Amino acid sequence: MNQIIEYLPFIIPIIAVEFILMIVSLVHMLKHKKFRFGNQAMWIIIVVFVQIIGPILYFTIGRGEE
Amino acid sequence: MKRYVAFTKKEFLEQLRTYRMLILFSVFFIFGLMSPLLAKILPEILSGMDLQGMIITIPEATAVDAYAQFFKNMTQMGIIVILLVFGGVISNELTRGTLVNVLAKGLGRHTVILAKYTAMVVMWTVALVFSGLINQGYTMYLFDTSDISNLIFSILCLWLFGVYLLSLIILSSVLAVGSFGGLILTVVVLGGLLLLDLFPKLEKVNPIYLSSRNMDFITGVLTPSDALLPVLITVILILANISASIVLFNRKRL
Repeated sequence: MNQIIEYLPFIIPIIAVEFILMIVSLVHMLKHKKFRFGNQAMWIIIVVFVQIIGPILYFTIGRGEE
Repeated sequence: MKRYVAFTKKEFLEQLRTYRMLILFSVFFIFGLMSPLLAKILPEILSGMDLQGMIITIPEATAVDAYAQFFKNMTQMGIIVILLVFGGVISNELTRGTLVNVLAKGLGRHTVILAKYTAMVVMWTVALVFSGLINQGYTMYLFDTSDISNLIFSILCLWLFGVYLLSLIILSSVLAVGSFGGLILTVVVLGGLLLLDLFPKLEKVNPIYLSSRNMDFITGVLTPSDALLPVLITVILILANISASIVLFNRKRL
């Protein structure tokens, strides 16, 4: 338990950034519903379960043109 | 000049709206934070493992390990992120044809290249400084940083390499066709440079030098004067890349 408290200054920012990325990409996905490849279910799974890398992949190669 | 400023502003707005800025800053934030943490907990994880009687002595982690992690992350994942984030900056506009309108209204083609390059370099600079400051803060929190030398110079080398990489992306995007052509060409050139780095005689005329010897500067194995030639060569290459991009873009049919 002591160890967890020692590393809290690291864990909290990392989790915060992960959540911000996840929520921003989910919101974007639900608003636009266009993908360069794959479908919505696949991208939701990638974004929610692959932390950090998932949202990056969505924004760089996954999202469709507007 | 007015047009250049306006187009640069448009570039920043585009980076913001396409979420590229968000991605760049969150990834670099995580790099800055994770590097000291990994350096700190890796020995603890290793010593906690059941090695069935095998004994491994692991030296206590120091600030040098934290910087080793930082530069490893930056030169591997960081470069991949830069390529993904900035790879499409010119290719996308060319394939979508959105540049035709502004060019027809009299915006100079060199202005487009210079404004895009400025926006990319500024973003990379701010992101690197941001990441470096976070890394420095957390490293000072966890370790004693007294045996670190040439830190600023080492980061400057990494910065210059990034600026070179961005100029390479611009040149490749002007040369190649399609949305991913520029990206692929950049990766091919980088691969070639990495291969050239295997020959000790050529290492000093190779921009890769600036992104692969960072730890030697920090530990004091190399001094800044060793990097004089690579820095000069890289600056010349950056100027050559940008002027070649402008010349080729002037001739390119949109």
